[in-house]
Amino acid sequence: MDDFTLGVAIFGLTLAVIMARVPVGLAMLAMGGIGYTIIAGYEPLLNTLKSSTYERFSSYTLSVVPLFLLMGQFATKAGINRALFQATRAWVGHWRGGLAIATVGGCAMFGAICGSSLATAATMSQVALPEMRRYRYSASLSTGTLAAGGTLGILIPPSVILVIYAVYTEQSIGHLFLAALVPGIIATVGYMIVVAAFVRLAPGAGPAGERFSLKIRLQSLRDIWPVALVFVLVVAGIYLGWFSPTEGAAIGAGSVGLIAVVIGGMRWRELSQSLLETAEITALIFLILLGAEIFNAFLALTQMPVELAKLVERLNAPPMLIMIAMLAVYLVLGCVMESLAMILLTVPVFFPVVLSLDLGLEEDQLAVWFGILALMAVEVGMITPPFGLNIFVINAMARDVSMAETYRGVLPFVASDVVRILIILFVPWTALWAPGLWYG
Amino acid sequence: MTQRTEQEHGPEVRMSVGDYGPAGRALMRVCQVLALIGGLFLIVVTTLTVLSVIGRTGFNVPILGDSEIVEIGVAYAIFSFLPYCQMRRANVIVDFFTARAPAIVRNGLDAASNVIFAAVVCILTWRLALGGIETFQRDDFSMFLQIPVWWGYLGAFVSCLIWAAACLYTAGHRLRRDG
Repeated sequence: MDDFTLGVAIFGLTLAVIMARVPVGLAMLAMGGIGYTIIAGYEPLLNTLKSSTYERFSSYTLSVVPLFLLMGQFATKAGINRALFQATRAWVGHWRGGLAIATVGGCAMFGAICGSSLATAATMSQVALPEMRRYRYSASLSTGTLAAGGTLGILIPPSVILVIYAVYTEQSIGHLFLAALVPGIIATVGYMIVVAAFVRLAPGAGPAGERFSLKIRLQSLRDIWPVALVFVLVVAGIYLGWFSPTEGAAIGAGSVGLIAVVIGGMRWRELSQSLLETAEITALIFLILLGAEIFNAFLALTQMPVELAKLVERLNAPPMLIMIAMLAVYLVLGCVMESLAMILLTVPVFFPVVLSLDLGLEEDQLAVWFGILALMAVEVGMITPPFGLNIFVINAMARDVSMAETYRGVLPFVASDVVRILIILFVPWTALWAPGLWYG
Repeated sequence: MTQRTEQEHGPEVRMSVGDYGPAGRALMRVCQVLALIGGLFLIVVTTLTVLSVIGRTGFNVPILGDSEIVEIGVAYAIFSFLPYCQMRRANVIVDFFTARAPAIVRNGLDAASNVIFAAVVCILTWRLALGGIETFQRDDFSMFLQIPVWWGYLGAFVSCLIWAAACLYTAGHRLRRDG
């Protein structure tokens, strides 16, 4: 068996093992190790393992990940979810479906200080769900909006997946953060349009709420300044190079932590809760990162990704078709798999292919643009049945709503996701303009 | 009200202290304390980094070697988080394809993957220990602060031992539930 076949075989076997309930990180670690041993013998592997675990976990570039996760956990205790919801609600709450639109707006703003989809969905549910229930919103609309709104948390910077993508493809984190900005706004507007269309087609689904005076409207904007300040400081600071991404994440975590203590009333109990939550998520991410390291070392030995890129090149297929095919793989995988795991499993294989595509774009343009597209495609997986983590989280909070109702509510948002992916696919400018990667 | 029949497709339930027997409870407590210590390291790193940025930009007094403390502190935090994650059964698995399988199949697969997990973690711990001893013998120091590299390895090693114990325990826990 030549190395290419071995690479493909082990890759397939890894997928099979993952389907059989083996933790994704462990599967990549073990199968990568086995493949490595077959090609190079066990001694080099054992030698690498002496230092690779410690070096991976003590990498300065990756230290940004736990710090952003800590920031996100502090955000859930910051007590500003109500203010964020209110800031949009005061303006649009009296429209039909206005509370759902406010939920989308609140999620988008929360996403500006939290890089996690689940935390955004769960935190915004605490305020938005009871309000929508009080105004007799349909169960489908309210849970669907929250599940979809949660995905804004990871698309709008800071975003943990973008950080990891940037590290693995050696791109600038600042570029990727800024590149996600316009698509994030498009996503927010897209979700709001979905809500508006939803209540038009099903008029009883989202009754109009209370109307607020201009004074209250302006007051509501005043209450969200801490979020705006932290977001601008962190994202602009990283992009402009005032500080490294790790330092930016530390500033973000520190200031959101401070907000949590002052506004959210965070004390020891809440602090230890957020630390344990951070511990859990950090550990599961770094297990996957460790697995990806060994797995990628093996893939590099087989030359499989490079060979595959050459193979694709020889196909002579239209580059756009290849892009669509790769994104379709994410959409399908997303139905059953978690997003970061998908990125780390596929990027080593897909990335050489992407760079070889002749779309008239430079390498760094292609890398950043594909990163945003891939992120959006894997995030659809958070809300597609049967395995949509956001859906589970919302459903666990709205005990009386059936899973089927949530699935129905989420489908229009999935449609809007697909439309947005197509927009950014055919108009790369949307992603590349903000980081200044569009050369006209 | 519709029946919540789809519940079995939900993600696996996380384990808490109360879900384990006496030995597991003790181990879970140890893992929690370890994770909290790691969390405190993260807070120290955060504070130090913020002070360093303020000092550098505001007063032109950078903290020398702050990035070394970030690396050591964050590495220690991550290692100390792993056993807790294991005891919580929080690792990412794909349960879609087995969601409708009988409980005995699912428990069997889980037991098997936990045994593999334990074996892999034991190998990692063993290699990490050797790597640590080598940095000790080579007398490796960090560049600015002259911190011995083996300190970091030692902390990681202790966490890895507890991690291995957690893996062995959860493997046994799943095997018993299987039988």
